[in-house]
Amino acid sequence: MLDKRKIRLMTRAAIYEKEYGEEDLKISSYYRKDYSSLNTWITLIWVTVGYFLFGGIIFLCYGETLIEGITITRLLIFAAVAVALYLALIIIYGIGAGSFYSKKHARAKQRVKKYIRDITRLEKMNKTKERNRS
Amino acid sequence: MSTLLVWREKLQKIYAGYSVYILKGLQFVMGLLLFGLINANVGFMKMASSIFCTIGLAVVCAFLPMIVMVIVATVLILIHFYTLSLPIAIVSAVLFLLMYIFYFRFTPKKTWLVLVSALAFGLKIPFVVPVVFGLMGSPVWVVPAAFGVVAYYMVDFVKGSATALKSADADGVAGSLISFTRQVLGNKEMWLMVLAVAVGILVVNMVRTRSVNNAWKIASASGAVVCVVIASVGNIVLGGHISYVSIVVSGVLGAVLGLVLEFLFFSVDYSRTENIQFEDDEYYYYVKAVPKIGVSVPEKKVKHITDETGDKNSNTDDILLTRSLSKELGLEKEKSE
Repeated sequence: MLDKRKIRLMTRAAIYEKEYGEEDLKISSYYRKDYSSLNTWITLIWVTVGYFLFGGIIFLCYGETLIEGITITRLLIFAAVAVALYLALIIIYGIGAGSFYSKKHARAKQRVKKYIRDITRLEKMNKTKERNRS
Repeated sequence: MSTLLVWREKLQKIYAGYSVYILKGLQFVMGLLLFGLINANVGFMKMASSIFCTIGLAVVCAFLPMIVMVIVATVLILIHFYTLSLPIAIVSAVLFLLMYIFYFRFTPKKTWLVLVSALAFGLKIPFVVPVVFGLMGSPVWVVPAAFGVVAYYMVDFVKGSATALKSADADGVAGSLISFTRQVLGNKEMWLMVLAVAVGILVVNMVRTRSVNNAWKIASASGAVVCVVIASVGNIVLGGHISYVSIVVSGVLGAVLGLVLEFLFFSVDYSRTENIQFEDDEYYYYVKAVPKIGVSVPEKKVKHITDETGDKNSNTDDILLTRSLSKELGLEKEKSE
Protein backbone atom coordinates (compact mmCIF):
# COMPACT_ATOMS: atom_id res chain seq x y z
CA MET A 1 0.00 0.00 0.00
CA LEU A 2 1.19 3.49 -0.85
CA ASP A 3 1.70 5.75 2.12
CA LYS A 4 0.46 9.21 1.10
CA ARG A 5 2.10 10.95 4.06
CA LYS A 6 5.44 9.43 3.20
CA ILE A 7 5.11 10.33 -0.48
CA ARG A 8 4.28 13.90 0.45
CA LEU A 9 7.32 14.18 2.71
CA MET A 10 9.62 12.60 0.14
CA THR A 11 8.35 14.90 -2.61
CA ARG A 12 8.84 17.97 -0.42
CA ALA A 13 12.36 16.87 0.47
CA ALA A 14 13.20 16.14 -3.18
CA ILE A 15 11.89 19.53 -4.34
CA TYR A 16 13.91 21.24 -1.65
CA GLU A 17 17.08 19.32 -2.58
CA LYS A 18 16.60 20.26 -6.24
CA GLU A 19 15.85 23.94 -5.63
CA TYR A 20 17.99 24.99 -2.69
CA GLY A 21 19.62 21.93 -1.15
CA GLU A 22 23.24 22.31 -2.12
CA GLU A 23 23.48 26.06 -1.62
CA ASP A 24 21.54 26.04 1.64
CA LEU A 25 23.69 23.35 3.19
CA LYS A 26 26.80 25.31 2.22
CA ILE A 27 25.38 28.52 3.70
CA SER A 28 24.21 26.91 6.92
CA SER A 29 27.64 25.41 7.54
CA TYR A 30 28.69 28.96 8.56
CA TYR A 31 27.58 30.95 11.59
CA ARG A 32 25.37 33.83 10.52
CA LYS A 33 27.89 36.50 11.48
CA ASP A 34 30.76 34.69 9.73
CA TYR A 35 28.75 34.17 6.55
CA SER A 36 27.49 37.72 6.48
CA SER A 37 30.87 39.35 7.14
CA LEU A 38 32.76 37.10 4.70
CA ASN A 39 30.36 37.90 1.89
CA THR A 40 30.26 41.58 2.79
CA TRP A 41 34.05 41.70 2.46
CA ILE A 42 33.90 39.92 -0.89
CA THR A 43 31.24 42.41 -2.02
CA LEU A 44 33.39 45.35 -0.91
CA ILE A 45 36.34 44.00 -2.89
CA TRP A 46 34.13 43.63 -5.97
CA VAL A 47 32.69 47.12 -5.45
CA THR A 48 36.23 48.52 -5.25
CA VAL A 49 37.11 46.80 -8.53
CA GLY A 50 33.85 48.09 -10.04
CA TYR A 51 34.51 51.62 -8.80
CA PHE A 52 37.94 51.71 -10.42
CA LEU A 53 36.56 50.28 -13.66
CA PHE A 54 33.77 52.85 -13.63
CA GLY A 55 36.30 55.57 -12.84
CA GLY A 56 38.37 54.39 -15.78
CA ILE A 57 35.39 54.55 -18.11
CA ILE A 58 34.48 58.05 -16.91
CA PHE A 59 38.08 59.12 -17.34
CA LEU A 60 38.05 57.76 -20.88
CA CYS A 61 34.92 59.77 -21.55
CA TYR A 62 35.75 63.10 -19.94
CA GLY A 63 39.48 62.75 -19.19
CA GLU A 64 40.59 65.36 -21.69
CA THR A 65 38.10 67.93 -20.43
CA LEU A 66 39.07 67.24 -16.83
CA ILE A 67 42.83 67.50 -17.42
CA GLU A 68 42.58 70.63 -19.55
CA GLY A 69 43.86 73.61 -17.57
CA ILE A 70 44.08 71.66 -14.34
CA THR A 71 45.46 73.32 -11.21
CA ILE A 72 46.54 71.75 -7.92
CA THR A 73 43.42 73.03 -6.18
CA ARG A 74 41.20 71.51 -8.84
CA LEU A 75 43.13 68.24 -8.68
CA LEU A 76 42.67 68.14 -4.91
CA ILE A 77 38.94 68.79 -5.31
CA PHE A 78 38.67 65.97 -7.86
CA ALA A 79 40.56 63.64 -5.55
CA ALA A 80 38.34 64.60 -2.60
CA VAL A 81 35.18 64.03 -4.64
CA ALA A 82 36.50 60.65 -5.87
CA VAL A 83 37.36 59.53 -2.33
CA ALA A 84 34.00 60.77 -0.97
CA LEU A 85 32.12 58.89 -3.70
CA TYR A 86 34.14 55.75 -3.01
CA LEU A 87 33.45 55.96 0.71
CA ALA A 88 29.75 56.56 0.12
CA LEU A 89 29.58 53.56 -2.21
CA ILE A 90 31.47 51.36 0.24
CA ILE A 91 29.21 52.38 3.13
CA ILE A 92 25.99 51.87 1.13
CA TYR A 93 27.09 48.50 -0.26
CA GLY A 94 28.60 47.44 3.09
CA ILE A 95 25.35 48.05 4.96
CA GLY A 96 23.21 46.65 2.13
CA ALA A 97 25.31 43.52 1.65
CA GLY A 98 25.51 42.89 5.40
CA SER A 99 21.75 42.93 5.76
CA PHE A 100 21.21 41.00 2.49
CA TYR A 101 23.54 38.13 3.41
CA SER A 102 22.31 38.03 6.98
CA LYS A 103 18.72 37.60 5.74
CA LYS A 104 19.87 35.06 3.17
CA HIS A 105 21.55 33.00 5.91
CA ALA A 106 18.46 33.18 8.13
CA ARG A 107 16.20 32.00 5.30
CA ALA A 108 18.55 29.18 4.34
CA LYS A 109 18.83 28.06 7.96
CA GLN A 110 15.04 27.99 8.30
CA ARG A 111 14.67 25.91 5.14
CA VAL A 112 17.37 23.49 6.28
CA LYS A 113 15.58 23.12 9.61
CA LYS A 114 12.33 22.20 7.85
CA TYR A 115 14.17 19.79 5.56
CA ILE A 116 15.89 18.03 8.48
CA ARG A 117 12.53 17.79 10.26
CA ASP A 118 11.01 16.12 7.19
CA ILE A 119 13.95 13.73 6.88
CA THR A 120 13.71 12.80 10.57
CA ARG A 121 10.00 12.12 10.18
CA LEU A 122 10.69 9.92 7.16
CA GLU A 123 13.33 8.00 9.08
CA LYS A 124 10.91 7.42 11.94
CA MET A 125 8.26 6.19 9.52
CA ASN A 126 10.74 3.79 7.93
CA LYS A 127 11.82 2.45 11.31
CA THR A 128 8.21 1.90 12.38
CA LYS A 129 7.53 0.06 9.15
CA GLU A 130 10.56 -2.17 9.61
CA ARG A 131 9.55 -2.93 13.19
CA ASN A 132 6.05 -3.87 12.05
CA ARG A 133 7.46 -6.17 9.40
CA SER A 134 9.73 -7.98 11.82
CA MET B 1 -16.57 37.42 -19.51
CA SER B 2 -17.44 34.05 -18.01
CA THR B 3 -16.29 32.35 -21.23
CA LEU B 4 -12.95 34.10 -20.91
CA LEU B 5 -12.69 33.02 -17.29
CA VAL B 6 -13.41 29.44 -18.28
CA TRP B 7 -10.67 29.73 -20.88
CA ARG B 8 -8.32 31.04 -18.23
CA GLU B 9 -9.07 28.07 -16.00
CA LYS B 10 -8.48 25.74 -18.93
CA LEU B 11 -5.18 27.47 -19.68
CA GLN B 12 -4.16 27.08 -16.05
CA LYS B 13 -4.96 23.38 -16.20
CA ILE B 14 -2.98 22.95 -19.41
CA TYR B 15 -0.07 24.84 -17.89
CA ALA B 16 -0.19 22.75 -14.73
CA GLY B 17 -0.15 19.59 -16.81
CA TYR B 18 2.55 20.52 -19.30
CA SER B 19 4.51 23.28 -17.54
CA VAL B 20 7.87 21.60 -18.21
CA TYR B 21 7.32 21.53 -21.97
CA ILE B 22 5.70 24.98 -22.10
CA LEU B 23 8.58 26.57 -20.17
CA LYS B 24 11.20 24.86 -22.32
CA GLY B 25 9.31 25.94 -25.44
CA LEU B 26 9.17 29.55 -24.26
CA GLN B 27 12.85 29.44 -23.35
CA PHE B 28 13.63 28.14 -26.84
CA VAL B 29 11.58 30.90 -28.51
CA MET B 30 13.26 33.51 -26.35
CA GLY B 31 16.69 32.13 -27.20
CA LEU B 32 15.81 32.08 -30.89
CA LEU B 33 14.64 35.70 -30.79
CA LEU B 34 17.62 36.85 -28.73
CA PHE B 35 20.39 35.12 -30.64
CA GLY B 36 18.60 35.87 -33.93
CA LEU B 37 18.47 39.59 -33.10
CA ILE B 38 22.11 39.67 -31.97
CA ASN B 39 23.31 37.87 -35.09
CA ALA B 40 21.09 39.90 -37.39
CA ASN B 41 22.26 43.22 -35.95
CA VAL B 42 25.91 42.73 -35.06
CA GLY B 43 26.80 39.43 -36.74
CA PHE B 44 30.36 40.42 -37.63
CA MET B 45 31.77 36.94 -37.14
CA LYS B 46 30.25 34.90 -39.93
CA MET B 47 30.69 31.53 -38.26
CA ALA B 48 28.88 32.65 -35.09
CA SER B 49 26.10 34.43 -36.97
CA SER B 50 25.00 31.45 -39.04
CA ILE B 51 21.44 30.16 -38.68
CA PHE B 52 22.78 26.83 -37.35
CA CYS B 53 24.60 28.62 -34.57
CA THR B 54 21.47 30.64 -33.70
CA ILE B 55 19.22 27.58 -33.56
CA GLY B 56 21.87 25.46 -31.87
CA LEU B 57 22.44 27.99 -29.11
CA ALA B 58 18.68 28.42 -28.64
CA VAL B 59 18.21 24.65 -28.32
CA VAL B 60 21.09 24.22 -25.89
CA CYS B 61 20.01 27.20 -23.77
CA ALA B 62 16.42 25.89 -23.65
CA PHE B 63 17.62 22.96 -21.53
CA LEU B 64 19.82 25.01 -19.20
CA PRO B 65 19.01 27.63 -16.53
CA MET B 66 18.23 31.16 -17.74
CA ILE B 67 21.49 32.53 -16.40
CA VAL B 68 23.33 30.43 -18.99
CA MET B 69 21.36 32.17 -21.76
CA VAL B 70 22.45 35.54 -20.37
CA ILE B 71 26.10 34.45 -20.25
CA VAL B 72 25.95 32.99 -23.77
CA ALA B 73 24.31 36.17 -25.14
CA THR B 74 27.02 38.31 -23.48
CA VAL B 75 29.80 36.13 -24.87
CA LEU B 76 28.21 36.15 -28.34
CA ILE B 77 28.01 39.95 -28.34
CA LEU B 78 31.62 40.23 -27.18
CA ILE B 79 32.81 37.79 -29.87
CA HIS B 80 31.09 39.83 -32.58
CA PHE B 81 32.49 43.08 -31.14
CA TYR B 82 35.97 41.58 -30.94
CA THR B 83 35.74 40.61 -34.61
CA LEU B 84 34.90 44.23 -35.40
CA SER B 85 37.36 45.92 -33.07
CA LEU B 86 39.28 45.08 -29.89
CA PRO B 87 38.62 48.40 -28.06
CA ILE B 88 34.87 48.01 -28.55
CA ALA B 89 35.02 44.52 -27.09
CA ILE B 90 37.05 45.80 -24.10
CA VAL B 91 34.67 48.67 -23.29
CA SER B 92 31.62 46.42 -23.69
CA ALA B 93 33.19 43.73 -21.48
CA VAL B 94 33.87 46.36 -18.80
CA LEU B 95 30.27 47.61 -18.98
CA PHE B 96 28.93 44.04 -18.67
CA LEU B 97 31.31 43.42 -15.78
CA LEU B 98 30.04 46.57 -14.03
CA MET B 99 26.46 45.28 -14.39
CA TYR B 100 27.54 42.03 -12.76
CA ILE B 101 29.47 43.68 -9.93
CA PHE B 102 26.85 46.19 -8.90
CA TYR B 103 23.70 44.12 -9.23
CA PHE B 104 23.71 40.59 -10.62
CA ARG B 105 26.04 39.21 -7.96
CA PHE B 106 23.13 39.57 -5.54
CA THR B 107 20.29 38.24 -7.67
CA PRO B 108 21.66 35.90 -10.34
CA LYS B 109 18.21 34.34 -10.77
CA LYS B 110 16.78 37.67 -11.96
CA THR B 111 19.41 38.19 -14.66
CA TRP B 112 17.04 37.07 -17.42
CA LEU B 113 15.04 40.29 -16.90
CA VAL B 114 17.86 42.11 -18.72
CA LEU B 115 17.19 39.89 -21.71
CA VAL B 116 13.46 40.66 -21.65
CA SER B 117 14.15 44.38 -21.47
CA ALA B 118 16.71 44.32 -24.28
CA LEU B 119 14.46 42.07 -26.40
CA ALA B 120 11.50 44.42 -26.02
CA PHE B 121 13.67 47.30 -27.24
CA GLY B 122 14.95 45.14 -30.09
CA LEU B 123 11.38 44.35 -31.12
CA LYS B 124 10.54 48.09 -31.04
CA ILE B 125 8.05 47.77 -28.19
CA PRO B 126 10.02 49.50 -25.40
CA PHE B 127 7.11 50.60 -23.20
CA VAL B 128 5.84 47.11 -22.68
CA VAL B 129 8.77 46.76 -20.25
CA PRO B 130 7.70 49.32 -17.60
CA VAL B 131 4.11 48.04 -17.54
CA VAL B 132 5.04 44.36 -17.30
CA PHE B 133 7.89 44.89 -14.81
CA GLY B 134 5.84 47.29 -12.70
CA LEU B 135 2.87 44.92 -12.52
CA MET B 136 4.74 41.67 -12.00
CA GLY B 137 7.77 42.79 -10.02
CA SER B 138 9.10 45.18 -7.43
CA PRO B 139 10.73 48.63 -7.71
CA VAL B 140 14.17 46.94 -7.75
CA TRP B 141 13.35 45.64 -11.24
CA VAL B 142 14.28 49.13 -12.41
CA VAL B 143 17.93 48.06 -12.33
CA PRO B 144 17.76 45.05 -14.72
CA ALA B 145 15.42 47.03 -16.99
CA ALA B 146 17.91 49.91 -17.16
CA PHE B 147 20.79 47.51 -17.83
CA GLY B 148 18.78 45.94 -20.64
CA VAL B 149 18.26 49.37 -22.21
CA VAL B 150 21.99 50.16 -21.96
CA ALA B 151 22.90 46.80 -23.52
CA TYR B 152 20.42 47.31 -26.36
CA TYR B 153 21.63 50.83 -27.16
CA MET B 154 25.25 49.68 -27.08
CA VAL B 155 24.52 46.97 -29.66
CA ASP B 156 22.37 49.37 -31.67
CA PHE B 157 25.13 51.97 -31.72
CA VAL B 158 27.72 49.44 -32.92
CA LYS B 159 25.29 48.26 -35.61
CA GLY B 160 24.71 51.82 -36.83
CA SER B 161 28.34 52.88 -36.96
CA ALA B 162 30.25 49.68 -37.62
CA THR B 163 32.15 51.08 -40.61
CA ALA B 164 33.18 54.23 -38.77
CA LEU B 165 34.27 52.21 -35.74
CA LYS B 166 36.31 49.88 -37.93
CA SER B 167 38.12 52.81 -39.57
CA ALA B 168 38.65 54.48 -36.17
CA ASP B 169 40.37 51.28 -35.07
CA ALA B 170 43.18 52.05 -37.52
CA ASP B 171 43.96 55.29 -35.63
CA GLY B 172 45.07 53.35 -32.57
CA VAL B 173 43.58 51.44 -29.66
CA ALA B 174 43.56 54.39 -27.24
CA GLY B 175 41.76 56.74 -29.62
CA SER B 176 39.24 54.07 -30.47
CA LEU B 177 38.61 53.28 -26.79
CA ILE B 178 37.99 56.94 -25.98
CA SER B 179 35.71 57.63 -28.93
CA PHE B 180 33.59 54.50 -28.44
CA THR B 181 33.19 55.07 -24.68
CA ARG B 182 32.23 58.69 -25.27
CA GLN B 183 29.70 57.83 -27.95
CA VAL B 184 28.09 55.01 -25.99
CA LEU B 185 27.87 56.78 -22.64
CA GLY B 186 27.05 60.14 -24.21
CA ASN B 187 24.04 58.73 -26.04
CA LYS B 188 21.25 61.04 -24.84
CA GLU B 189 18.55 58.88 -26.39
CA MET B 190 19.73 55.95 -24.27
CA TRP B 191 19.60 57.92 -21.02
CA LEU B 192 16.20 59.31 -21.97
CA MET B 193 14.85 55.79 -22.43
CA VAL B 194 16.48 54.64 -19.19
CA LEU B 195 14.71 57.51 -17.41
CA ALA B 196 11.36 56.79 -19.09
CA VAL B 197 11.50 53.08 -18.26
CA ALA B 198 12.67 53.65 -14.66
CA VAL B 199 9.98 56.26 -13.92
CA GLY B 200 7.40 54.09 -15.71
CA ILE B 201 8.20 51.03 -13.57
CA LEU B 202 8.10 53.06 -10.36
CA VAL B 203 4.75 54.67 -11.27
CA VAL B 204 3.14 51.38 -12.31
CA ASN B 205 4.40 49.62 -9.20
CA MET B 206 3.32 52.43 -6.88
CA VAL B 207 -0.21 52.60 -8.30
CA ARG B 208 -0.56 48.80 -8.50
CA THR B 209 0.18 48.41 -4.78
CA ARG B 210 -2.50 50.94 -3.73
CA SER B 211 -5.82 49.66 -2.43
CA VAL B 212 -7.93 51.66 -4.89
CA ASN B 213 -10.42 49.89 -7.11
CA ASN B 214 -9.07 48.84 -10.51
CA ALA B 215 -5.53 49.54 -9.34
CA TRP B 216 -4.00 47.31 -12.04
CA LYS B 217 -5.89 49.04 -14.86
CA ILE B 218 -5.01 52.52 -13.56
CA ALA B 219 -1.39 51.44 -13.07
CA SER B 220 -1.02 50.10 -16.62
CA ALA B 221 -2.63 53.16 -18.19
CA SER B 222 -0.75 55.69 -16.06
CA GLY B 223 2.58 53.91 -16.59
CA ALA B 224 2.09 53.85 -20.35
CA VAL B 225 1.07 57.54 -20.40
CA VAL B 226 4.04 58.59 -18.24
CA CYS B 227 6.47 56.72 -20.51
CA VAL B 228 4.96 58.17 -23.69
CA VAL B 229 5.06 61.70 -22.25
CA ILE B 230 8.66 61.45 -20.99
CA ALA B 231 9.90 59.91 -24.24
CA SER B 232 8.05 62.44 -26.44
CA VAL B 233 9.08 65.51 -24.42
CA GLY B 234 12.65 64.27 -24.16
CA ASN B 235 12.73 63.54 -27.86
CA ILE B 236 11.63 67.11 -28.65
CA VAL B 237 13.97 68.76 -26.11
CA LEU B 238 17.03 66.67 -27.01
CA GLY B 239 16.25 66.58 -30.71
CA GLY B 240 16.33 62.77 -30.73
CA HIS B 241 15.40 60.39 -33.50
CA ILE B 242 12.98 58.12 -31.66
CA SER B 243 9.99 57.25 -33.83
CA TYR B 244 6.74 58.66 -32.41
CA VAL B 245 4.83 55.78 -33.96
CA SER B 246 6.97 53.34 -31.98
CA ILE B 247 6.48 55.40 -28.80
CA VAL B 248 2.68 55.55 -29.11
CA VAL B 249 2.19 52.01 -30.39
CA SER B 250 4.37 50.51 -27.66
CA GLY B 251 2.56 52.62 -25.03
CA VAL B 252 -0.82 51.34 -26.23
CA LEU B 253 0.52 47.79 -26.44
CA GLY B 254 1.86 48.13 -22.89
CA ALA B 255 -1.55 49.21 -21.59
CA VAL B 256 -3.27 46.33 -23.44
CA LEU B 257 -0.73 43.85 -22.11
CA GLY B 258 -1.43 45.25 -18.64
CA LEU B 259 -5.11 44.36 -19.08
CA VAL B 260 -4.17 40.85 -20.20
CA LEU B 261 -1.90 40.41 -17.17
CA GLU B 262 -4.64 41.67 -14.87
CA PHE B 263 -7.05 39.15 -16.36
CA LEU B 264 -4.55 36.33 -15.94
CA PHE B 265 -3.15 37.12 -12.51
CA PHE B 266 -5.52 39.47 -10.70
CA SER B 267 -9.13 39.00 -11.67
CA VAL B 268 -11.26 40.27 -8.82
CA ASP B 269 -14.86 41.42 -8.48
CA TYR B 270 -14.82 45.00 -7.19
CA SER B 271 -18.64 45.11 -7.03
CA ARG B 272 -18.56 42.68 -4.08
CA THR B 273 -15.91 44.57 -2.12
CA GLU B 274 -16.26 44.39 1.66
CA ASN B 275 -15.00 47.17 3.92
CA ILE B 276 -14.55 45.89 7.44
CA GLN B 277 -13.48 47.66 10.58
CA PHE B 278 -12.39 45.99 13.83
CA GLU B 279 -9.98 46.55 16.69
CA ASP B 280 -7.78 44.83 19.22
CA ASP B 281 -5.90 46.16 22.25
CA GLU B 282 -3.32 48.01 20.20
CA TYR B 283 -4.80 48.86 16.80
CA TYR B 284 -7.89 49.78 14.81
CA TYR B 285 -8.07 47.84 11.56
CA TYR B 286 -9.69 49.11 8.36
CA VAL B 287 -9.73 46.14 6.02
CA LYS B 288 -10.81 46.10 2.40
CA ALA B 289 -11.53 42.60 1.11
CA VAL B 290 -12.02 42.13 -2.62
CA PRO B 291 -13.26 38.68 -3.66
CA LYS B 292 -11.50 36.82 -6.43
CA ILE B 293 -13.49 35.72 -9.45
CA GLY B 294 -13.48 31.97 -9.72
CA VAL B 295 -15.20 29.86 -12.34
CA SER B 296 -15.29 26.10 -12.38
CA VAL B 297 -14.61 24.55 -15.76
CA PRO B 298 -17.54 22.40 -16.96
CA GLU B 299 -16.33 18.82 -16.94
CA LYS B 300 -16.78 16.58 -19.94
CA LYS B 301 -18.91 13.51 -19.25
CA VAL B 302 -17.79 10.37 -21.01
CA LYS B 303 -20.58 7.92 -21.62
CA HIS B 304 -19.42 4.34 -21.99
CA ILE B 305 -21.43 2.42 -24.54
CA THR B 306 -19.90 -1.00 -24.02
CA ASP B 307 -18.72 -2.74 -20.90
CA GLU B 308 -15.23 -3.21 -22.33
CA THR B 309 -14.05 0.35 -21.80
CA GLY B 310 -10.36 -0.29 -22.24
CA ASP B 311 -10.59 -2.42 -25.39
CA LYS B 312 -8.16 -0.89 -27.83
CA ASN B 313 -9.01 -3.22 -30.69
CA SER B 314 -12.62 -2.12 -31.01
CA ASN B 315 -12.98 0.08 -34.04
CA THR B 316 -15.66 2.56 -35.06
CA ASP B 317 -17.76 -0.05 -36.89
CA ASP B 318 -17.91 -2.18 -33.76
CA ILE B 319 -18.98 0.79 -31.66
CA LEU B 320 -21.71 1.79 -34.12
CA LEU B 321 -22.91 -1.78 -34.40
CA THR B 322 -23.04 -2.19 -30.64
CA ARG B 323 -24.88 1.10 -30.27
CA SER B 324 -27.54 0.22 -32.85
CA LEU B 325 -27.96 -3.27 -31.43
CA SER B 326 -28.37 -2.02 -27.89
CA LYS B 327 -30.92 0.50 -29.13
CA GLU B 328 -32.85 -2.18 -30.97
CA LEU B 329 -32.79 -4.60 -28.09
CA GLY B 330 -33.46 -1.89 -25.51
CA LEU B 331 -30.33 -2.80 -23.54
CA GLU B 332 -29.49 0.81 -22.70
CA LYS B 333 -32.79 1.28 -20.87
CA GLU B 334 -32.25 -1.88 -18.90
CA LYS B 335 -28.80 -0.74 -17.90
CA SER B 336 -30.00 2.61 -16.68
CA GLU B 337 -32.84 0.99 -14.77
